[in-house]
Order: sequence, then C-alpha cells, then structure tokens
Amino acid sequence: MRFVHTADWQLGMTRRFLGAGRVGQAVGEAQARFAQARLDAVTALGRVAAEEGAAFVVVCGDVFESNLVGPDVVGRACEALRSFTVPVLLLPGNHDPADASLVMRRADFARRCPPHVTVLDRPGVHEVAPGVEVVAATWATKRPLSDLVADRLRALDPAPEGVVRVLAGHGAVDVLSPDDRNPAVIHTAECRAALADGRVHYVALGDRHSTWQLHGEPRIAYSGAPEVTSHEETDPGNVLVVDVGADGAASVRPVRVGRWAFVREHAVVDTDEDLAALDARLDALDAPERTALRLVLEGTVTLRQRARLDEVVEAHAPVLAALEVDVAGVATRPDDADVEALGLTGFAADAARELAEATDPEALDALALLHRLAVTR
Amino acid sequence: MRLLRIRLRDFRGVHDREVHLAESGVTVLEGENEVGKTSTVVALDLLIDFRDDSKAAPVRAAAPSGRDAGPEVEAEFVTGPYRVVYRKRWLRRRLTELTVTGPSTEQLTGREAHDRLLAILDETMDRDLWLALRVEQHTPLGQADLGGHDALTRALDRAAGGAGAEAVGPAADAAAEGLVERALAEVRRYLGGHGRPVGPLREAGERVAAARTEAEVAAASVSEVERDVELRADLDREATALAEERRGQNDRVRELEDRWSALQARQQEVATSAERAEAARERAGRATERQDARARLVAAAEAAERAADQAGRTLAGLETGDHARREDLAERRAEADRAVAASDAATAAARAAAEALTLARDRTELADLRGRLRRAGTAEEARREAARAAGGPCADAAAVDRLEGLDRAVVQAEAELAAGAATVELTGTAARTTLAVDGVEREIDAGGSTTLPVADAVAIDVPGVVRMTVRPGLDGAAARRRVAEARAARDEACTALGVADVAEARVALRTAGEAAARVRELAAVVERELDGRSLDDVRAAIAVLAERVPAEVAPEPVRRRGARRPATDEPGLFEEAGLLDDASADPEPEDLEPLRVEAVRTLDVADEAHREARGAEEAWRRLDASVTTAGAEVVAARTALAVARSEADRRAAELRDARAEHTDEALAAAATDALARARRYEADHEQRAAALEADDPTTVEALYATAKRAVESLSSRTADVERRRAEVTGRLQVAGGEGRHDRLVAARSELAAAEREHASVSRRAAAATRLHETLARRRDEVRRAYVAPFRREVERLARIVFGPSLALEVDPALRIVSRTLNGVTVPFDALSSGAKEQLGLCARLAVAALVDAEDGVPVLIDDALGHSDPGRLERLAAVFGAAAAGSSHQVVVLTCTPARYRGIGATRTVTLNPSYPPPQAVADAEQDRDDDEAGSSDQDGFRETG
Repeated sequence: MRFVHTADWQLGMTRRFLGAGRVGQAVGEAQARFAQARLDAVTALGRVAAEEGAAFVVVCGDVFESNLVGPDVVGRACEALRSFTVPVLLLPGNHDPADASLVMRRADFARRCPPHVTVLDRPGVHEVAPGVEVVAATWATKRPLSDLVADRLRALDPAPEGVVRVLAGHGAVDVLSPDDRNPAVIHTAECRAALADGRVHYVALGDRHSTWQLHGEPRIAYSGAPEVTSHEETDPGNVLVVDVGADGAASVRPVRVGRWAFVREHAVVDTDEDLAALDARLDALDAPERTALRLVLEGTVTLRQRARLDEVVEAHAPVLAALEVDVAGVATRPDDADVEALGLTGFAADAARELAEATDPEALDALALLHRLAVTR
Repeated sequence: MRLLRIRLRDFRGVHDREVHLAESGVTVLEGENEVGKTSTVVALDLLIDFRDDSKAAPVRAAAPSGRDAGPEVEAEFVTGPYRVVYRKRWLRRRLTELTVTGPSTEQLTGREAHDRLLAILDETMDRDLWLALRVEQHTPLGQADLGGHDALTRALDRAAGGAGAEAVGPAADAAAEGLVERALAEVRRYLGGHGRPVGPLREAGERVAAARTEAEVAAASVSEVERDVELRADLDREATALAEERRGQNDRVRELEDRWSALQARQQEVATSAERAEAARERAGRATERQDARARLVAAAEAAERAADQAGRTLAGLETGDHARREDLAERRAEADRAVAASDAATAAARAAAEALTLARDRTELADLRGRLRRAGTAEEARREAARAAGGPCADAAAVDRLEGLDRAVVQAEAELAAGAATVELTGTAARTTLAVDGVEREIDAGGSTTLPVADAVAIDVPGVVRMTVRPGLDGAAARRRVAEARAARDEACTALGVADVAEARVALRTAGEAAARVRELAAVVERELDGRSLDDVRAAIAVLAERVPAEVAPEPVRRRGARRPATDEPGLFEEAGLLDDASADPEPEDLEPLRVEAVRTLDVADEAHREARGAEEAWRRLDASVTTAGAEVVAARTALAVARSEADRRAAELRDARAEHTDEALAAAATDALARARRYEADHEQRAAALEADDPTTVEALYATAKRAVESLSSRTADVERRRAEVTGRLQVAGGEGRHDRLVAARSELAAAEREHASVSRRAAAATRLHETLARRRDEVRRAYVAPFRREVERLARIVFGPSLALEVDPALRIVSRTLNGVTVPFDALSSGAKEQLGLCARLAVAALVDAEDGVPVLIDDALGHSDPGRLERLAAVFGAAAAGSSHQVVVLTCTPARYRGIGATRTVTLNPSYPPPQAVADAEQDRDDDEAGSSDQDGFRETG
C-alpha cells in the first residue's frame, strides 16, 4: 500500500522578512508570491500522489497556519485540494487544533471542501479504504496534557489480519526535544512498541518542518513542510512517498515539491576585493526571486568601502525575494583618505576629522551625511 | 577697494556732478537735503549690480524726473592691483565702458565690461563686507553683520596670529559656513524647534504608533477568540458534568418518589382509621347521652311531684292564716269607726269654742276702734283750735326781738337824757312816804333816797302833800328828742305787732309758743289713736267689723273696773275736760280669757280624739293591707299548686312513654357497648399512626421536594450553560470568517516595517543633528579665536567715547553682546539708541582699521549719528581720527548737518551744491529723445558720447 505522507502546510503563513506591503496593504509582492508558492507545492504533491499511484494523502497537522485565517486562505486551500485525485486526510495540529474554532469545521471550508477530503477532527481509527486504516491522534486543544500519540496507540489492539494501519500524529518527539515539562511530547518508545506488535505499521508525524526519520526506524518519520518556511530548516520542501505492507515492511522515499530557498550566507569584507567577491556571489545566486537570503557580514572597512558595500547590497535587494544583511560584525573605520576625499577646509575639515575619529555609529552616519552634503555643494 | 572719483549725469535730481574722494582718511560730503548725497551711494550700487540693459525698478527710479535722459554713472577706483574707470548708462543710449589702467591696460565695453568688472571685484573685494560696513540713511546705526566675511576673517586671523602656512586658511572657514547651513537644513528636515519631530521622522513615528495600535487591536481580537475557545471548552465540560449530575439526581428523585407514594398510601389508611374511631366515639357519646337523658327525665318527674306536694302544703298554711286575719280585721274596723266618731264630736266642740272666741274679739275691736275714732276727732278739733291760737301776730320771735331792741334804745336814750338832765333827789324824812313820780307810786324809806333824773317834766306827787312838777331846761332838748324818737319807733313797732307794749309782746310770744306745743301734742294724740291709718280707713274697718258682729247676739260686755281710766295725777296738757272725759263713752271691753281657755281646751280634746281615731284607722288599714297581701299569696299558691301538679303529671307521662320505648336497662347496655367499640377503634388508629410516624414521612417528603428542586435547578443551569454555549459558538462562527489571524500577522509585519523605518529615519536625524552640532561647535571655536582682536580694536575705539572703564563682550558671530561701563553690564539691545549707534560706528571703524588695506572697502556713513549728543559727537570725531591712525582705509561720510562731523579732521570736505540742467536742457532733452529714438533702432543699443 502506497500513500503520501506530508504535513505542516501552514497555509496562511507570512514571513516578515519578505516585507509588508505599503501602509494599509496586507502583503507585499514577495509575500504574495511566497503564499502562491506554498499553494503550488500543495498542488505539486497532489500530482506526485497521482503519479505515484498513492492510495491517499495524509497531512499530519498544521494544514493551516491558524484557525483564524481568512476566507481567502481557506478558499484557495480548498481550490488546491480540488486538484487532488486521491483521498486526502487532514489532521488538525497545534496550529489548527480541533477546538471550537477549528477552521476545517468552518462554514466557508465546508462549503468549498471537495468530497475526497476527510478531516480527522475526531481521534481514533478511520477506515480510508478496505484494509487501510488511519489512526488519528487529533489535537483537540492548543495545549494537550498528554502524549496524544501514545494515548491512541494504547487504545489499539493489533491490526486485524490484512489491514494496514497508519498512525497520523503531530508534535515533537522525545528524541528531538527532550523536554520533561512538555506533557505532550511523543514517546518514540511507545511508537516502536506499537510498530513491533503490529498495532500500527507506520507512524506519520507532523510539526517538524524538516524531513526526518527516526534513526534505525524509518517507519517513524516527519515529512517536513512541502515548502520552506524558515531559515532554520535543514531539509524542507519534501513529501514522503511511503510503501507499507501489512507485514510491517516499509520503504520511505522523499520527493521534492518545494521550489523556494531560505538561505543563510556568511562573508568577510575587509578589502575592496572582498566586496567585489561578495557582489559576484550575489550575482551568481540561483533563482534569486525565490530566495530569501540572510547575509551575515564581518570585517573592517573604510568609509568608502562601506559606501560601496551599501551600494552592493542595495543593488541586489530588489532582485532577491528577501535580503537581510547583518552588518553587526562590520566595523567602519574611516581613514585619512576618506576625510581628504571630502575636500573640506577650515573648521569643516576639523569637524570631519573629529567625526572620523569617533567610533560610534552615529558619528559614522554624520560623517556619511557630511560626505553627501560636501559632494553636492 | 578705494573710491577715487564718482560722476553722476542725469541721475535723479543731479544733472552732472563729479566728486573726488580722498584715497585714504575721511571724506565728508556735505550738502543740503535733496542735493543728491544718497544718490551718490545708490549710483555706486547700480553701477556694479545692474547691466545697462536692465529695466529693474531701481534703474527706472534713477531716471531724472521730467527729462527723457538715461541716467549715467562713472566711477574711478582702485581695487586690489587694479585701477579702474567704469562707466554705465541705462534706459537711453545704454552703454558700459570699462577701462583698466593697471596693472595691465584693458579696454572693454558692453556685457564683457560688466562681467569683467564683476570678476575683478569678486577677486579683490569682499562685497558682503562692503555692504556690511555701510550705514544707510534712515536706518538705525546698529550691529553690523560681520561674521563670515572673507576679508575680515583673514584680517582677524592675522590679528589672532594664527595665520600659519599650514592652516587651510580663513577663506576655507567662510566656505565651510555654507556647510553648517546645509547641515542645519538637514536637521530641519527631521526636527523642528525644541527637537519636535517633523516631516519623515514625524510620519515614521505616526506610522509606528498606528501600526502598534493596529497590532494591539488585532492581537486583542485573536485573544478574544482564544478566550472564547477556552470558554467553550469549559462550557462543554460543564454541560457534561451537569448531564451526569442530572442523571444521578433523577435516580434519587425516583427513589424518593416511590417511598413517598408508599407513605402517602399509609397516611390515607391512618386517616381512614382515625375517621372510624371518631365515628365510634360519636356513637358511644350518643348512647351515653340517651342514658343521661333518661336519668334526667326520672329525676325531673320526681322533682315535679315533690314540688306539687310542697305547693299543696304551702296553700293550706296560707289559707289558715288568712281566715284568722280577716276576723281580726272586722274587729279593728269597728274600733276605728268608734274613734272617728269621738274625734268628730270633739272637733265640733272645739270649733264652737273658737267661734265664740272670735266673735268676742271682733266685738272688742269694734268698740276700741269706735273709741279711737271719737278721740281722734276730738283731738283734731283741739289741735285746729290751738293752731289758730299759735298763729297770732306775736308769734314771730324775731319781731319781738326787734321790738325789745327798740325798747332798749328808748331806755338808752332816756338814760342819756337822765344823765345829762337835772336830777331830783328825794330823801325820805318820815318813816315811809309814798309818793308818785309821774303817776308811779314809790315808797321811800326813812333815810333812803331816790334820785330822779329830770329829763322831761317830772311830776312828783306826794299824795296829799304836794304835786311837784319839775321840768327840764332847754339844754336837754336834743336828748329829749332822741328819747321821743326812740319812743315813737317803739310804739310804732308795738302797734304793728298789735300789742300795747313790750311786755305784752313778750306774753303774746310765749302764749303762741305754748299753743304751738299743744298743736304738736294733739297731732301726736291723733296719730297714736289712728295708729297711722286715716280716719276713713278706720271707719271702713269699723264698718266691716260691725257687719260681722250681729247686734242681737252681742253679749253684754263685761265691764272691767279701772280699766282704761286715766289717772288724775297723770301729768298732761289735757286740761280741757272735753278731751279727758271721752273714755266714759267707750263700752267696757269684754273679758275674752275664759273663752280662749275653753277654746284651747276643746281644741286639745279634739286633737287627742283625732289622733286616736287616726291610730285606730291606721291599724285597721294595715291589717287590711296584710289581709289583702295574704289573699294574693293564697291565690298565687293556688296557681303554683296547679302548675306544679300539671308538670308533675306531664313528666310522669313522659317517663312512662320513654320507658315504654326503651327500658332503662336497655339504654345502659347500649351505652356500655358503644364505648367499648370506640376504645377499640381508637387503639387501632393510634397503633397505625405511631407506625407511620416511625417511618418519618415528613423527612421523606422534604427530601423528595428538595430532590425535585435540585432537578429543576439542574435543568435551569443546564439551560443556562446551553445558552452561553450557543452564544460563544455564535461568536466563534462570526470570528472564524473574519481572518483575524491574517490581520494580526499583517499588523505585526507592518509594525516591524514601521519600526525599522522609524529607526532608520531616527538614525538619519541623529546623524544630521550630530553633524550640525559638530560643525557648529568647530565653527564657534574658530570664531572665538577671531573675537579677541576684534574686541580689542572695538574697545580701543569705544573707550574714546565711553571712557577707559569700558569693556565689551563679543560673541563668535562678532556681535557685541553687552557693554560694561564702570562695572555695570548692560545687554546691547537694552542700550540707548545713541550708545548703540556709537558702538555700531566703532565696530565698523574697527573692522575698517583691522582689514588689510588691499582687502579693505570704504566705510560709508550716510547721515548717521542723529542720536548722539554734542559731547559724544566730539569724542566720536576723535574715534574717526584714532581709527584712521596707523591705517589707510577710506571713510566716506554724507551729511546734511556738517556741524556733526566738524571735529573729525576730515582729510577732505566736499560741499555738494545742486546741479540743475542748464537752460538749454530742454533743447538737449529734445535732442536726447531724438537720439534715443534713433538709438532705439540701433541693435547694439549704446553709443559713445562726449
């Protein structure tokens, strides 16, 4: 039996570094493209399911960023789901728990939701097809007080003969976030035990946006988000195509659907050559319009080099989906040539030297301003 | 720059004037008002600033009035290394000519000349300083704006000794001045006065505030939903718990209901048994009552029989007593009748006696009255008589007194006559001699003598012997007349009284008095006899009495001896027999005493008899009443006997009937039986009730009611929870479609962007502030270096005016801040106009003195010092001198009051006179216009003139 394991679509999510729109405008241009890219990823994984001949798609939580997303987000999500040709199971997660405000019970969702979509808003066993069962460990509230997965597993008897059972859960596993104070952490030992005695045959998890499998147990896995959502993620943008048999044998295969990249770069800028190299590096970025770059710089530059650096950054910013430059590590040290270049005389020259010798950023800003004023004289 | 010469042609009111100025030192241009002093200054400005083709307002204003000529100015001056002659004419026949004679010769015209001249001036002269050192007419001579002038800063730099080769140079400072302005302009883009944000900084701040508000509102709207979600979960739990509780409570209600129903059935049974017992009790009561009624009936029959017997006995007793009393009564009746008869007889006797007595009394009274009447009539008569006697003429006592007075007057007169008259003394000689003197016999004893007055003729008659008449002589005539008159008066009075002489009068008077007394006496007698009544009354009374006393029955009155007989020795006035003897006419009064005694006695007897009769009658009547009462009692007793008898018979009959129906024994048995049954039933009821009470039905009922109420309360709570749940659900449904999450995210993004923008703008503002602050500080430091030499020079000059104690404070912009004189510091603005003007002049002259000769510009003073007093003027003159000493700068003073500047030791004084156009000026003007018209077709627009 083959199915597609995915999670954390987080529809309705925005990223601040992609820029707000102008005042009064909901989202900026990059933001809008990003939102569309995430819907595209959903459509893409639907295609993957169709192409791979999957029996169903299970989405392990956080389908929506929040239960309070607007009707536009809900409507577009339903449109994307409409393109699916296989049954889709949507599990409420911590972002969209099955409480009174559950978005997937809302009227606008219900009106547009295609018939092949099932919302796993009640915990327990759901039969997807004869011989195929999905056990939902649904989040009923934002803050569960127990390991929901273990609770479900304990309530199960070993699967009947010939029935393939997939557990759909959401949350952090104990091996990744060993947090004693979190009562809802998923105990992998329980999962292993359930796999071992045949109560379930695969534990499909959501919540972690990077694709991940438990070491030595490929049947306990996070699919990761189908499209990147954060710079911290290591391997996002995948769905898992899972083959599992009633005998417990399983194969898990990641398939890439995401197209965006959230990149961190580090660069040293000390010399004019460094600046040129940085410029070249930014030029060489692949698909910059789908790249959000977080650039960390360090080094010591003169005032002129600093101006050059700013110029380089400004030149690339419009091309990239987002460009955040961390210049905390860059020290600007004006040299005599910087002051000479101003062509100042008299007390203005004295003032320029004083500002150049000061080390606080405000003095540098003042010096830059002086530069501008002197040049435009 | 030094001005050497300036020539004006057709410039305002000046037709043609050339003025030569001293190359250094003071040149005074003096002249009257409107002679064109100020025009000279204006002309210099026009010459430099306006091209010859300008038609600007100052240019047009310079055209001569009334004439159609183009104003023309020509100036010769030295500036830097150049010596220049520059000429310009505007409006008509325009021209510009520049002739440079050194260091190399240049000849230029038109636009080239203008541009070249400006280039020369820019190269060699500080034009701002040129304007600053000028004092225009009608403008107060105050602070000059001296900061930032190239020439001055160069000079000050030199003076400060800081002008080294390594320094960038003061000119650079002047250039940097503009930078400060631009930095300030940059600051002003962000910050207004008092650091108030403006422009982009304010907008950024507002954007942050708006974004923060929106973010807070959006967050609140999201939290609201979260709260509602939790509330909904709570309500779900509560609903579940309530349902559970209701189930439990319902079970309990059912159980209690069962118990309560059972108890209610038993309560019904207890009530039934109570009713049964009650009924038995009532039946027993009725049986007992019947028994009691029989007993009462028997007792009543017996009592009635006894009462009838008693009544019979009572009647018999009463009838016996009654018979005896009746016999006694008859006896008493006879007795009473007898006593009454005796009483009547006695009464009659008493009445007869009383009548006799009365008659006797009437008779007596009649006699008495008659006697009185008679006596009264007699007395009345006597009284009338006496009254008549008393009414005589001599009854008047006063008249008699008068008569006696008259008589005494006669005696007196006679005595006087006698005293004065001769006397006759008679002496007895014999034993007794009788003699008559005037007819009056007298006897004279022997040896006796009598002296007689001879007032009148005295006749002495010795009877028988001799009659001797002695007559008085004439000498006593008057006395005799008086006597005669007195006698006449007396006699007249006697006659009037009807008496002979005085003696008679006296007797008459006494008699009258006695008669009056008798009248009173008699009146009293009448009064007494009549006893206050009138005679008629008495007569009427007599008539009445006489009628009452029958004459025939009048008994012979019994005469009482001595009675009413008056005593002979009784003193009285009744000397007339008529008055005293009338008593004999009265009958002798009867003796009434025996009659009265008899009457009293008979009356007493009658009274006694009457009393006895009344007593007897009383006794009879009492007995009669008692007999009557006893009779009534007998009748009553008889009636009572009849009633009692009848009652007794009725009772007996009743008892008989009752016994015929139920015998006494049957009744007693029934009562006993009924009582026993009642006790049985009661015991049964008590047993049941106690058993029920032991099961505590009240508590069970209370528990049942409480449980039911609890169920109701649970229902209402459930309804409440359901309602709130529905509310929350509704709210959540509404909120769900609002996209609150999206709004919050957008708001947060906007807030972050706004904060970024604000930080960026703030940073730019801070940079601008920092730059401006640094530049200004550096500039002020440089300026402060200039201040010292400037201040030294100004103070040097000003001390000439104000004295050696003067000190000045000068700020970096080379403005005088305050003046200290004799230790008193006054801000510049607070100084008097005169002092300001003097200090302003000193400052300008100081600048002129400081500035290098090559860089220098003329100090131009147009009619200033209007506020300075003559003393100060003199000192200012010295200032001019001191400023000029050791320096070669040029000062030009224009004035209409030459006296003001007399003392300044002018190098040259030029007196300006009016320069009017010559008489042919009209023709010239015509000519000029023709030329101009010709010239206006000339493309170049200027031509040479001679």
